[in-house]
Amino acid sequence: MNAAETDPVRVRHRELERIAHVALQVGCLLTQSGAAVRVAHEGARLIAAGFGAEVLGMRSGYASFEVTVGAGRNTITRMMQVGPHGVNHRLDFAVRNLAVRVSQGGFTPEAIEAELSRLRGETPRHPPWLVALATGAACAAFGRLLGTDWPAFLPVLAGGGIGQGLRHILLGRGINVFVVATIIGCVAAALAGFGAKIAGSGTVDMAMMASILLLVPGVPSTNAQTDIMDGYPTMGSARAVWVVMIMVFAVTGLWLAELALGIVS
Amino acid sequence: MIDTALAVLPAGLVAALPHLAHQAFFGAVAAAGFGVLFNFGGRTLLWCALAGALALGVRTLGQDAGFSLEAASFAAAATTSCVAILMKGRLGIACHAVALAGCIPMVPGAFLGQALLGFFSVTAADAAQPVASVVGALQAFIRVVATLGAIGAGLAIPAHLLHSRQF
Repeated sequence: MNAAETDPVRVRHRELERIAHVALQVGCLLTQSGAAVRVAHEGARLIAAGFGAEVLGMRSGYASFEVTVGAGRNTITRMMQVGPHGVNHRLDFAVRNLAVRVSQGGFTPEAIEAELSRLRGETPRHPPWLVALATGAACAAFGRLLGTDWPAFLPVLAGGGIGQGLRHILLGRGINVFVVATIIGCVAAALAGFGAKIAGSGTVDMAMMASILLLVPGVPSTNAQTDIMDGYPTMGSARAVWVVMIMVFAVTGLWLAELALGIVS
Repeated sequence: MIDTALAVLPAGLVAALPHLAHQAFFGAVAAAGFGVLFNFGGRTLLWCALAGALALGVRTLGQDAGFSLEAASFAAAATTSCVAILMKGRLGIACHAVALAGCIPMVPGAFLGQALLGFFSVTAADAAQPVASVVGALQAFIRVVATLGAIGAGLAIPAHLLHSRQF
């Protein structure tokens, strides 16, 4: 055994590196599941606290998460890439629960990684057909709230539902999220508009608009404001820009559908 | 019995009840539908639906009382957030997520779409009435920003004032 392997400073640094790594994984997973920055930071802090380490600083970008952990006079800074952002309530709260349990002690970094891996794989999800049906129903309900008439109800439900099913397939194939927004905006609006016309609706324009509301990033848009209020304007601004970009692409799809149906020239 | 209850209510409120019920019902459907998309669990989905009904009910009452969309949205979000925090004993720390899901049907996505379509129409080579289109689109965009701000503030302020924890 050489001197480097028994040097207590190096040993402590290796331990801190493992702690930083699992704290980053928890922070990233919370961010990807739709949590606000304050929640992601608290999750990472609880993980470090469970090992008796202190978080000296954290930084959340839209695509990366950084943490500096320390114990005594030793500190270490590490960064991790954040994956695609989404909203997954059950995974979000399962990870929060894990962070609370870890903060009470008794976990090893390896056990936390195994638990995170299990949560990623085993947290239940609704079947895609149910998600598509529920999303279509939500779009149709949105339509009623916006003033669409009854003949437009089923076409909006069908357009939104088929749009969500197609979104699931396209995102699963790794297609860019903005390109997907345009495709879904066009397909959902065209189906809803065509169906509403055939059904004799007097609110075809609004039906087409309602059918693409599945693309409106509601959680990121409120998270943007929450992050700015909590003192994270960089992440808040990034989320706001992302929301506007998604809507620009979605509305481009809607515009193409209106063009196809002859509603605009 | 229902007739007796209705007789006690002001005539204006009785006349508004069908519209109120319509808005609350479709608010519940929209909130629960998006709850499925956001992977809420079975029982929590029911709470999302109730939160959506409450939010749209309060917003409709506010608008019927003469509030602007923005003010009514703020009142609805604040009420939903307060009720969800008061129900923390049943909902646990998910109360904030339930309140947010309930407010999703109030997110003015259609206004944002109208604003962007208005801007698109101005870029056409032979745009008809470009000034009116720009003003209309800007108005819609400002309403989006103000309404989103109202919803976000309505959700966040009670949570901060009541020191409701997220873990």
